[in-house]
Amino acid sequence: MSRVSRLIFSCQDMARLLSDAMDRTLPLHVRLRIRVHLLMCTLCERYKRQLTLLRDVLRADAAQLRDDGPAQSPCLSTEAKERIRRTLDSHRS
Amino acid sequence: MGDRGLSDSHSLVDAHGDFLYRFALLRVRSPDVAEDLVQETFLAAIQGTYRESGETAERRWMIGIMKHKIVDYFRRTAREPIQNPNQPEGQATDEGFLADGHWKPDPAAMHRWPDKPDKLLDQRQFWDSLAICLETLTPRAAQIFTLREVDEVETEKICELLRITQTNLSVILHRTRKQLRDCLSSRYFGETEESARS
Repeated sequence: MSRVSRLIFSCQDMARLLSDAMDRTLPLHVRLRIRVHLLMCTLCERYKRQLTLLRDVLRADAAQLRDDGPAQSPCLSTEAKERIRRTLDSHRS
Repeated sequence: MGDRGLSDSHSLVDAHGDFLYRFALLRVRSPDVAEDLVQETFLAAIQGTYRESGETAERRWMIGIMKHKIVDYFRRTAREPIQNPNQPEGQATDEGFLADGHWKPDPAAMHRWPDKPDKLLDQRQFWDSLAICLETLTPRAAQIFTLREVDEVETEKICELLRITQTNLSVILHRTRKQLRDCLSSRYFGETEESARS
């Protein structure tokens, strides 16, 4: 392996590092090498934007407030709802 | 009747029960525990002071309560070792890469994603695809991913709550993000790109 290629992250390294960078601050020298790779590599640059978008979508308020999952989403059973209602009634003053 | 603004307890269960149940189930992975958490959340809600009105504000408020209940639950159960660190879950994935570390050519990965989330938020089809992609994750990965990406829990805290190492967590998050990216690319963005062009 040449000297240069050892300095440059592979795309496979990058996928892991881009994920890590979303969770903690990486050392400066790693961040710089990531930036160099991103300047040269559109696939990794795109991957980074996709991960960011996924996070942004999920963290937007609307995502959490949505009511309807897909049709087969799990629901509380009628019995469970009844149990909860009874418990709530018994705690009411 | 309850505090001003908060629906009475029965309609509260009708309005938010299923939502909170799914919210809990995604994180704790046990129907019984999820049901308990829903009940605890409602109990805290009817005993708390709530001054706003409107169903959205009410729901946001209850999500806040439930997040606390979920963290409490993890605290209580943290003693149980949830996984063996040598499990394959802790191994990095080579999928999607060539032997030299470059991305494998993948037509699905080439689909264009929007830059901002705004356009996606209202699209039913997107959320359906996302829900289906989340279903493909292992329960463990879905739980960890949700705590981190949706609930914004810091990684140190997740490691502490679930008794896993930072390295383990990092690998699981990396693998899960990539899996979801791949799944959404082929399932959602691939189709919309074509329909947008036609």
